Parts: sequence; C-alpha cells; structure tokens
Amino acid sequence: MQNTDPYHRHPSISCLLEPKDPREEEKWAAELIQECAKAIAEKDSSKIHHLLWMLNELASPYGDCDQKLASYFLEALLCRATEAGELCYTTLTSAAEKRHSFVTARRVMLKFQEVSPWTTFGHVASNGAIMEAMEGESKLHIVDISNTYCTQWPTLLEALASRGSDTPHLRLTVVAMVSMGGSVMDEIGRRMVKFARLMGVPFEFHVVSIVSTLGQLTEEELGLRKDEAVAVNCVGALRRVSVEERDAFMRMLCALRPRVVTVVEEEADFTTSRGDLVACFEQCVRFYSIFLGMLEESFSPTSNERFMLEKECSRSILGVLACNGSGVCERREKASQWCERLTEAFATTAFNDDVIGDLEALLERYREGWSLVPAKGDAAGLYLTWKAEPVVWASAWKPIKP
Amino acid sequence: MAGETVSASSIQNPGSNPPPVNKKKRNLPGTPDPEAEVIALSPKTLMATNRFVCEICGKGFQRDQNLQLHRRGHNLPWKLRQRTSKETRKRVYVCPEKTCVHHHPSRALGDLTGIKKHFCRKHGEKKWKCDRCSRCYAVQSDWKAHSKTCGTREYRCDCGTIFSRRDSFITHRAFCDALAEETARVAASNMSSSVTSVRNGSLNFADGLMRSNVVQNFPSFLKPPVAESEMVDAARAGLSLWMSQAPPLETLTKADDLVLGDVDGDPFASQLSWIYRNKLVPSGSGELISSITLPTSGMEETEAPHSLLLSAPYHYSTQHHHHLVPPAPDTSATAFLQRAAQIGVTASRPTSEAKSPDGNIRYLNTNRSYSAANPGNAMENAADPLRMMYSTRHHVAQKDEGAGGETKDFLGVDAPTICASSLSGWIRIRN
Repeated sequence: MQNTDPYHRHPSISCLLEPKDPREEEKWAAELIQECAKAIAEKDSSKIHHLLWMLNELASPYGDCDQKLASYFLEALLCRATEAGELCYTTLTSAAEKRHSFVTARRVMLKFQEVSPWTTFGHVASNGAIMEAMEGESKLHIVDISNTYCTQWPTLLEALASRGSDTPHLRLTVVAMVSMGGSVMDEIGRRMVKFARLMGVPFEFHVVSIVSTLGQLTEEELGLRKDEAVAVNCVGALRRVSVEERDAFMRMLCALRPRVVTVVEEEADFTTSRGDLVACFEQCVRFYSIFLGMLEESFSPTSNERFMLEKECSRSILGVLACNGSGVCERREKASQWCERLTEAFATTAFNDDVIGDLEALLERYREGWSLVPAKGDAAGLYLTWKAEPVVWASAWKPIKP
Repeated sequence: MAGETVSASSIQNPGSNPPPVNKKKRNLPGTPDPEAEVIALSPKTLMATNRFVCEICGKGFQRDQNLQLHRRGHNLPWKLRQRTSKETRKRVYVCPEKTCVHHHPSRALGDLTGIKKHFCRKHGEKKWKCDRCSRCYAVQSDWKAHSKTCGTREYRCDCGTIFSRRDSFITHRAFCDALAEETARVAASNMSSSVTSVRNGSLNFADGLMRSNVVQNFPSFLKPPVAESEMVDAARAGLSLWMSQAPPLETLTKADDLVLGDVDGDPFASQLSWIYRNKLVPSGSGELISSITLPTSGMEETEAPHSLLLSAPYHYSTQHHHHLVPPAPDTSATAFLQRAAQIGVTASRPTSEAKSPDGNIRYLNTNRSYSAANPGNAMENAADPLRMMYSTRHHVAQKDEGAGGETKDFLGVDAPTICASSLSGWIRIRN
C-alpha cells in the first residue's frame, strides 16, 4: 500500500489512532511508538509488525519533529524487538567515532551554544559556583567530567584573568571516555593551553582516559596535589555512571575533598523505569520530543549541526532503550533523584545573586521560550525550562564535613 | 558642618607660601600638587549629596556652583558675596578606605567627583545593573556609559567572524584556528629574542605609561594621563578591544572601516584608530624605531628603559624583520600582533618560564614585586612573547585604580620598547 501522506492511517490500526482533537494529530509519532512498545512488551508480533511498518512508512530523519521522532525510535524499537540492541549500538558508536573529529565537534558544539542555552546554562551556573567557592585560592584544580568538550572553560579563564586580585594557577584535569576520541581531546587541550596563555592564566591541562566505565574512576588517577583547591565539574556526567555504581561514585567524589561539586543534568527519568519497557519508552519519548522540538525551533531548518545532534540523539535513544547490560548508557535521573543520592555525602549550596543575574542575562540573549526556575521541594538548584518544561538542572554541592 | 570629619593638611610645611599660579601640567593621577590642601572626608560625607550648604537658609546643594547661584538669590551685600581666599587654594582628596592606595596624602586625587567615583567603584556596592548583560556598577555614570554601548558592540575574531555576544566570542576565540596559527607563528619566530634584564626602572616607567593615555604621536607616547574618570570611561573596551585588534590592524594595509570594539565614546580607542587610519603604523619595516625618542619624564631610572629600547629594536629589525612582513593582507593582523608581542617581550614580568615536566609552562605569579628577572630567565621570558605580552595584562590591571578590578591592561610594562608597530602591544585596553 503506497501512501506517503502522514495522516493516512492503515485500516487495521486506524481505530487505535482516532484523533481526539486536531492537535492530537500532530502527536502521532508518540502514540505509535508507545503502542509499539506495548506490543513488544506483550509480545504481540503481528501488532509489532504492523506498527513498525507504519512507523517506517512515516518516519524520516529529514522531516518534521514527529517524523524524526518516529525515525529515531523506530531503530530502538526494532532493536528491542529483535534483541539486537547491543550490536546495533556498538556499530553506531564505532561509526560515530570514525566521524568524530575536533573540527566537527567544535562546530557542532559552538553552533549549538550559539542558538540554545541548553549547555551554556549549566556552564554559566557551574562557573559561577566555582568562582565563588574558589575565591581567594591561588591554586585551583578543576576535575572536569563533562560532555561539552571544554567549551565551558574559556569564559572561566577570562573570569579568572579579570578577577582583579591575583590570577590563580589553574590546573584542569579532563576525564574523558576513550570513545570521545583521544585525538579530539588532545587538540582541545592544545587550544586550551594556548588560550590560557593568551588570558595570562597559569595553566596546566591533563586528560585522564577512562577505558571502562566512568564508575571505575579512582582518586589516584586524578593526581590531586596537596596544596590545591579542588572543584569537580559534572556536566552530563553522572548519568554516564552505571546505575549501580552511582552512590559509590559520589562517595569517591566526596573523598577528593572538593570545595565545590557542580552538577548539571538533563531532567528526565530513565532509571526508575528501566525494568519496565513501556514506562521507559514513555519517558524517553517525552524527553526526546521536547529536545527535538527545541532543536527544531533553535536551529535554522537546513542546519547540518542540528542534524548531527539528532544523530547523536538517536544513538542515545538506542542506548537507553535497547541496551540492558554494560556499555555506556545514559540513564538520566531527575533532579529530585540526584539530590537524594547527593545528600548522602554533600550539602547543597545556593547560587549567589550574581550568578542568577548572569543566568537571566544569558537567557535574554536567546530566543523566546527559555526561562530560569529555582528548584523546589525535594530538589535544590536551578532549572532551565523550555516552554515551561524543565529540561536542564544545575546545582552546586559542598561535601558535608565528616 | 556637623557630622563631618574633615582634616585638612598640607603635604609640605604649613608655613610655606603658596607658589605662584601653577602651569596646568598634568601629573600621574594620585600624585597631587605638593602645595595643595589635603582633605580627608569620611565615607559618609563623601557620599553625601548635599555637601554645599547655604549659610543663610541651610539648603544643601550637590555642587558648589549651584550653591553660589542660590546664594545670589539671597541678595547679599557685595562684601559677603566674595569667595573666601581659602577656596583659591587647590584641594586634593584622599580616599577614606585605609587599605587603599589613595588613602595616603601623597596619592590623593585632585577632584572631588573623582574621589567619590573612585571610592564607589573600588570600595562600594555595585547597585547599578545593566539590563542587557549582567554587569553591575557602583557609579551611576559608569552604568549609564556602559548602557550606551552594551549590546551595540561587536566582537570580531581574527578569522573574520563577528559576534554580538562576548561569551560566545570568547568561547569561539579559544577554539579558533586563527588563535592556533598566531601562536604557532610566534613560537616559530621567537628563537633568539633575548631580553635584557628587567629592572625596577622600567617598571616605574611603564607604571607611568600605564596611567597615560594612548598617544597620537609616537614620540609623545608618554602623554600626560587623563583624569581618572576619563580614563575609566576610556577603558571600557577591555577584552573585546584587545581581541578585536584584528580590524584595526587590517587597516594598515587596507583602509577599511575600523571596527574597534569600543570606539564610540572611547577617547582611548579613537586615538588608536587615528593612528591606524593614518598608517603611521607600518606593516613591515623596522625603520620607524629609530624615529622614536624616548622621553624621560615619569621615569625614575632612565638606564634600563634606554637599554631596553636599544636592544629590542635592533633585535627587532635584524632578527625578526623577515618574519614581520605580513604575507598577505588578511594575515597582517596576526603578524602585527606577533610583532607587537616581540617588542613587548622586554617585559618586566619576572616570570620564569621553567617548563614543568609535563610540558606545560608554569608561571611564577609574583604579582606586585616587579623585581628583576634572573638574567638567565630573560631568554625564556622572551621565548613566548605573545604570552608575555598578554600575561602582563592582569598585573597592570591591579595597578589600575579606575574601574574596580574590571580593567584589563594590555600594555604591561614593556613601554620602553615602543615602536610604531608595537603600538598594539602596549596600548592599554581597559574594560
């Protein structure tokens, strides 16, 4: 049956997809995906086939948000259905690594930061917390476990250089997964060193390569020195620690006796539901449809950088939904969940007024739709919201004195 | 006046006669006329808005002129209208903050408005906040001046990309290939740049220079400094101007429009642009050096600077000439900066560039003590002139009392080695 009209429903499934109101028509992808997930959970193979077929017909990575969503989740569903997730993920990862280069990473990252505060929000908040915690210190050591390729640091270097009092010595230790590409990190390091020189900030750069999982990171590998003030910067990092190792990881961080630990994470819960396929799919669909929608509205329609980010998304989705065992998967947790873990060893510190001011000024520079909301209740820190949905969470922590 | 603690003292013997009318010669800010009367006001009085009180009706005014105008309205007899002789004596003011440099009478400031602004900026609370960016200011006029330019400024990278936001400009610049290229070229050409040892003399010289505004004529680059407030206003460009030096440099070879970071309302930058536009800065030759005469005013020791001047330019012209001819117009910016860096290398910074085992360069941040670098390190100091040049920024910033720690001074203490094309190397860029 040949039809390319996205709103034409296959007769056998049309009953599932009766649009309740005009706006629901737009959310066809989410519905289809959910139904398919359900079918997989129920092991209803004919239904699975029908839905996969439909999704396949309608999906396109070059289409609108729904079509993209369909496209990326289709792969995950397929892998889940055929239990080929791990293999698929590995293949995608190695393909990504081959494509990966300093130039592309830089281009994508910088462009993303230009059009969206998704990452810069966390950077500004973290840098502010770090500057405050390190006030008066002359030897700083920042342990950076992030996924933003050191784009956070130039502005911090400038802030250090223009502090007015003595410029401290900064040591930056970046913890990188081998998958991020060693050559990329080396090149980044070179640029950082040069830039620090330009800024007049005494600087050292060091990369710690993790071969296995982030949870295996040890204090010794970080090479801390006695006379320095340590800050740990975790941007999109904690979610890359496998769920079972998270508490231990936080204890390890605490043992470093840092002045501050900055945590920036995306607001989604892929952890609680990890045993429940349908629930997990639901969470994922929800989060990624927000993310893809944000990307669509932030970038220009023909943006290559956006496309690359979307590809990265699809790999991530696959990792979350189709991979159960080891390997890098990014099981996000919500702020309240992270807070519960962190409060075991840390106490929250508030961002000062200057930082809040900086963040508000930051958001002013982007398109409409973004705002800053302080966390309430079980969670501490700040949320970045996109169209009233909290999407990114930033917080700062100090170790509780023993 | 009630509640005011005023102590008036003379720097010199109280008994000495006031000298005849002084020529209007400008000193370093904070080095007042020794004959002047030193006034020390309490913070409260300093910040009081109505210091000038009419003795007849008690009404307070912000300015003396306003008070005088008001007094006329009282129809005083002619005698009482006379200004008291006391007021003909010049007054200078000290900062009430004990830890401040300007607390000591020898560093008093001559202008009441100036000392007020200084006190606010340095020791006061930043109450005025810019709507657009997050900048806060203690002095309302600073905030106003900033608001005029905020958001209207453009930042241009060497690679040609223009940014409207400073943070994205900085982040871009850190990763930009233009940066990598620039430092590579510097590294290649820094082979044998030797530096004579730095001495305190050159520090003081440069100290004076730091306070001076950019010149319009090379020989007079020790132009007397502008008043502090003007300096601060002129200092708004900071990093952006420094980083956006590419455009002015490009005007060397093409007389395009200047896109300086902060030209409008910035006397500093506009002086700079005049120089560039008139192509007084050569694009490749070392000839201009000989035309520089080094004034000695403001210098306490003349030896070191002279020797620096001698050594660097010769050095410059013989050893680096071949590196300095810009290969193409669009790379002249980087070449220019590089040249400037080399000249700027005769720096005062006693940083020893001992390479640490992991290959990264360690700095000895000796801050205020500009004591002589070890001669042995002179070579190493020069090894990375660009770094030296840029890294002196923050040292100089400390010396700047104008803008409460926000200034960046590109100059550092390498003034003696000034030559036309190194203008960019020592021109002070302030935030």
